[in-house]
Formats: sequence, structure tokens, C-alpha cells
Amino acid sequence: MTQRHILLVDDEPHVTRVLRLALEKAGYAVTVAHDGHAALACMAQQLPDVLISDIQMDGMDGRTLCPLARSTYPDHDFPIFVMTSMTALEERDWARALSNTEFLEKPLSPRQLVARLARCFA
Amino acid sequence: MKLNRIGIALIAGALVVIALVVILLVHRQQSSRSADVRASGVSLVRALSRIPFKYLDSDSQGPSVLNTLFAYQNNGELAYAAILDANGRTLADVAGRGTFVPGAALPPEAATSFGQRTLPNGLIEFYGPLADRSAGQAFVRVGFHQPGYAVLARDVQFMALLALTMFLLVPLVYVVVKREMAPLDALGHQLRQIGDVGIAQQASANDVRELAGSLQAYLQFASQRIAQLERGSLNASADNQVLQYGSKKLTAALQSLPDGLLMLAPGGLVSFASDKVEPLLGVAVDAILEQPVDTWCRDPALRTLLARYAGNQRDTLHAHSVDFTPANVEGKYLSATVQPLTAAHGAMAFGTLVVLRDVTREQLARQAGNDFVAHVSHELKSPLNVIGMYAETLADADADDETLRVESLNVIQDEIERMNALVGNLLNVSKLETGSMSPERNRVRLDDLLRDAYEHALPRAEGKQLRVSLDLPRELEAVAIDKDLFRIALNNLLTNAIKYNRPGGSVLLAARNEDHEIVISVRDTGIGIAGADRERVFDKFYRVSERDAKVARGGHGLGLYLAAQIVELHHGRIALESEPGIGSTFSIHLKIAPAASGVVTL
Repeated sequence: MTQRHILLVDDEPHVTRVLRLALEKAGYAVTVAHDGHAALACMAQQLPDVLISDIQMDGMDGRTLCPLARSTYPDHDFPIFVMTSMTALEERDWARALSNTEFLEKPLSPRQLVARLARCFA
Repeated sequence: MKLNRIGIALIAGALVVIALVVILLVHRQQSSRSADVRASGVSLVRALSRIPFKYLDSDSQGPSVLNTLFAYQNNGELAYAAILDANGRTLADVAGRGTFVPGAALPPEAATSFGQRTLPNGLIEFYGPLADRSAGQAFVRVGFHQPGYAVLARDVQFMALLALTMFLLVPLVYVVVKREMAPLDALGHQLRQIGDVGIAQQASANDVRELAGSLQAYLQFASQRIAQLERGSLNASADNQVLQYGSKKLTAALQSLPDGLLMLAPGGLVSFASDKVEPLLGVAVDAILEQPVDTWCRDPALRTLLARYAGNQRDTLHAHSVDFTPANVEGKYLSATVQPLTAAHGAMAFGTLVVLRDVTREQLARQAGNDFVAHVSHELKSPLNVIGMYAETLADADADDETLRVESLNVIQDEIERMNALVGNLLNVSKLETGSMSPERNRVRLDDLLRDAYEHALPRAEGKQLRVSLDLPRELEAVAIDKDLFRIALNNLLTNAIKYNRPGGSVLLAARNEDHEIVISVRDTGIGIAGADRERVFDKFYRVSERDAKVARGGHGLGLYLAAQIVELHHGRIALESEPGIGSTFSIHLKIAPAASGVVTL
């Protein structure tokens, strides 16, 4: 079984550091990008099996990145996970419109994330 | 003398008037008597002419009609009555006492028509043909005495009463007029006196003073009378004016209200719009008066609400409100309250009242409040998120992975400190902004304060392998500051200098005397601040982008804002010099406190 590739996008270095540790430990290959522009650059090199993105970021935020990822690669319906501490309903509307997209509520548990991904690839 | 003349003239005038009235009355009475005589004469002749001759003939049996006539009439006006044949011979006659039938021949037309004529001796005669011709052609003649002035005798009593009344009225009128004219008379008298004296070139101050006094008295009297007269008409017009005044006052009050007012007549037309409506809704008052709402209102929310009041629905007995952004005005939020205008417990309906209130500031404040809460909760949730994740990592970490354990513990400690700082700064900002934090300024030697801050920063800097140094001159001028507040500002600057530094870098806390001020500077060898950010770092919640940072530096955008606010509270200023990649220097400029004032605390 080939190693799954995960693109992790967040501008908080602590978060990416911890999640990378947990995901790598679970056997995933992890690429980290600190905003939408960097993430799109990574995707151009290698398409991920899963995109995990924060919403609020300096530079290009998650609101822009996720729809752009879908429209740029229409033939690749990889799962997208959106990390957000915003619980406001309007935040979810844009994400609802995207296929194969789910929310990850902050505070985020690395253990839960790994379990979610495992279900995803089961 | 003069008054007597007036009196006599008045009496004479009165007598003339009485005589005139009497003459007029007599004349009128006489002419009315003449008319009476004529009327009764004509009708009597006509009546007699239709009576058969045998009843008129005094020679036949019994008293004739003529006798009866005379016996009946009693006022003595009827002088005679006679029946004559065509030759003028008397067939029958009867005459009053002392009267006889004059022998005057009848005119020829008497054979066919009735007529009248005046005869000598004050007689008036009526004649006409007799209808009954049993005794041949015959004529009727009836004579009356012309009514004389003697008849007046009956009315003497009435005349006398009238004359007496008039005679009494004259002096009464005279007295009243005299009373009204007395001041003017006095004035005239004075004037004449002055005039006489003036001719003699001897006008004395006394006379003039008297004249002035009289004039004044008269003017006073006249003005009193005028006032009296005017009061009557004034009372009437005053009522009207009071009403007008009340209405104007009410309109002025409505216009001066801070809210815009609209009144709709029961039919739905705008009956009143205050001037404030124009800037609120962006429509000219003139353009909406007497117009239905739909023609000028471009705000669907307001139209919908007003439409509810158009009918007689039950819910329109109460006020309803709606908030909306006016279509014609940009960047405004309005609140419209609509309620029925009634009086006498709803028995009288005057239409609908619309109160438009500008709630832009409230709306913006609410929005800012919401933003603030969102921001703060995000700021609190971020470190919590990191703490949670590291705690889990720590729990799952292999026992021998010492590096990860140390890293986790450090991060958790950092994040807790960050949250602590945020909460502390939030409290201070809130105190500062509500004005409950008023600085207690005392003259303070800065040396100790700076040394304290330096020592407080040391352990934190050492944890990050930073070198911290303190550079103070031997003598530092005293400044008047609030020590506790100033410590917060200094700590925030030092915290930033440590947080945004690079490993192996340094932080320099220094102070120096300059002209009239002391400059405290915090210099770091950190990442520096780009030009675009430099102007905004003191803004509330502003955070410099950390895109290129390898390590997270949890800031919350309050530290520099608070420091700047505190410095401003001390009438100082805060400045920033920075070069990206090399470092930043924040400097606080404080005025030196005059040595004489205040208390020196060491």
C-alpha cells in the first residue's frame, strides 16, 4: 500500500508542527504550507490525497484556497478538511457548496484527526 | 360762559329736533287720514250706487239707507250723502249737522264713471251713477270733511312723552360728551394760554410745564381709551394669535427633535415631514409632502411597515419598529418606529406617526463589539488549541523522546503566558477605554523602574538565548508618571522585543536625557517591521503578518496599542525605527517634570 500524501495548510507553526508529528507517526506523508499561495504551489508539484486547511490565514486564506483547489483540479475529488474555530453558521456556507468537504472543529485533537483520516481511507 | 353757550345751543337744538319730529308725525298722520277718507268715500259711493233707489228714497216708508248710514257713522267725517236726478235735482239727501249739500253741478262723466272732486269749505266729494234707473238717470254724491289738524289732539299725550324723553336725553348726551372731551378742553385752554402769553413774549416755564402736564394727562387718558377699545378687538385676535403661537411652537419643537418625523394623514399622504427627514432618507421634504408613500419611498422595509398601517388592521393599534439602511443615503443605519396617531383613547385618529432615528453609531458600535468578541474568542481559542494539541502529543510521546517533551512543555508554558498577557491587557484596555484607569502621576526617578523592568525581562530572555542589557546615564532627570501604568507599557515593549527576536540576538533597554525630555528606548535585533506595518503597529488588534516566521509568536495585537495609549496618557509620544531583518527600536519620549512640583518618590 502506497503512502497517502497529506497537504497541511496553517499559518500557526505550533499547529502544523504537532499535526505533522501525529500524521507522520500514523504513516502519512505530510507537506506543510503556511498559506493558500504556498499550498497551490505544492499542489502544482504533487496532488495530495487529502487537503487539510485552516480558514484564517495571512496571505490567501482557506475561504479562497479550498474552492480554488476544487476548480483548478476538477478531476481530482480529494477530501478536504477545513479547520476552524469559528462556529458561526455563515462560515460554513461556502464550504457546503464544495464536494467532499468536512469541518474539523478547533480545538483539534491530533488523535481524532488521525481516526477521521483512517475512516476516510477505509 | 362757553359752557353755558353750549348748553343753550344744545337745548335749542333739542327743541328744533322735537318740532321737526312733531311736524313729520302730523304730516304723516294727516296723509294717512286723507287716504282713509278717500278709500272709504270710493267704497261708499260704489256701495250706494248698487242699492235700489227705493231704499235710498227718504220719502218712502221707514228710514232710508242714507239715514241709517248717517246714524251709523260717528266720527263726523261724513258731511252729506245725496241722490240727484239728471237735472241736478235732489231726490234724496241727508247731511250732517251744520252742513248742506253744495249745489255744484256734476261733471258730465259722472253719468258713466265714478269720480271725486274737492269742493270749497274743506269738502271732498265722491260721485257716481246710480245703477237702479227706476226713477230715471240718477247720481250718488257723498261728501266728506277734509281731515283737519284737529285730529292731532288725540296724540298730544304721546307727543308730549316723546318730547320729554328727547329733552332729557340731550343733557345726558351732553354730559357724556363733555366728560370725554374734558381733557382735550383743558389742553386747548392751556394752549390758548400759552398762545396768549407767547404773543406777549412772556412764556414762563410754569405754563409750559402745565401744558406738558395736561398734554401728558390727555395722552394718558386717550391711550387708556384706545387701550380699552383695542382690548375688545385684541381679545378676539389674541385668541387667534395664541392658537397660531401654539401651533408655531409645536412645529418648532418637532423640528428641533434630533429624530426625523413624518406624519401620514389617514388617507396615506404625508401631512408633515421635519427637516431632519431629508438627510436621513435622502429625499427632499418638499418632494414628499402631500404625496403617498409609494411615490417617494425607496426603502422596502419602511414601505412594508407603513403598508401595514394603511388598512384598519388590529396590529396597527401599536407601534412597530424596523431597522434598515436607507437606499438613498450611503453608510447610514436607520431605525423607523411607526405608530398610530390617536387622541381620546383611540377615539380620534389623525393618521400615522413615523419616527426616524439615525442608529449608525449604535450599529457600528454593536458591530465593533461583535468583532471584538469574535477577535478575542479567536485569540483565546488559538492558544487553547495549541495547548490541547501539545498536551495530547505529550501524552502520546514516547518516554524516551526527551526533545519532544521539552518542546511540548515550553510551548504549553508560552501559550499560557500568551493567554495570561491577553487577559491582562484586555482588562487594562477596557479600563483605559472606559476611563476608569486614571493615571496617578508622581515625580519618579526612572532608574528604579527601568531596573525593575530589566530584571523582570531577564529570565524570559535567557529562555530564548537572548542577551538583555540595560544602559542608564549616571543622572536621569525625574519625570511625572504613573509607575504602575508605565510598568505595563515597558513590559509590553520588552515582551515584544523578546518575542520577535532571533536566537542569539539581544535586547537593549536604555534611557537618556535630551532637551526637556527623557527618551527611553527598547532596541531588539529581531525580524524588524516593514514600512507598511510601521504605521499600524500601534492600532488595536493589529498584528504584523508572520508569513515567513519559522516559529509562531503568539501576539494578540493589544500590547503596542496599550503601550501607546499609556504613553499618550502621560502626554508623551512613542516612536518606532525599524529595518526588516535587522531589528526595531521603540522609543518613549517623556517631558521632564519641573523640579519644584510634585513629590519625588524613589
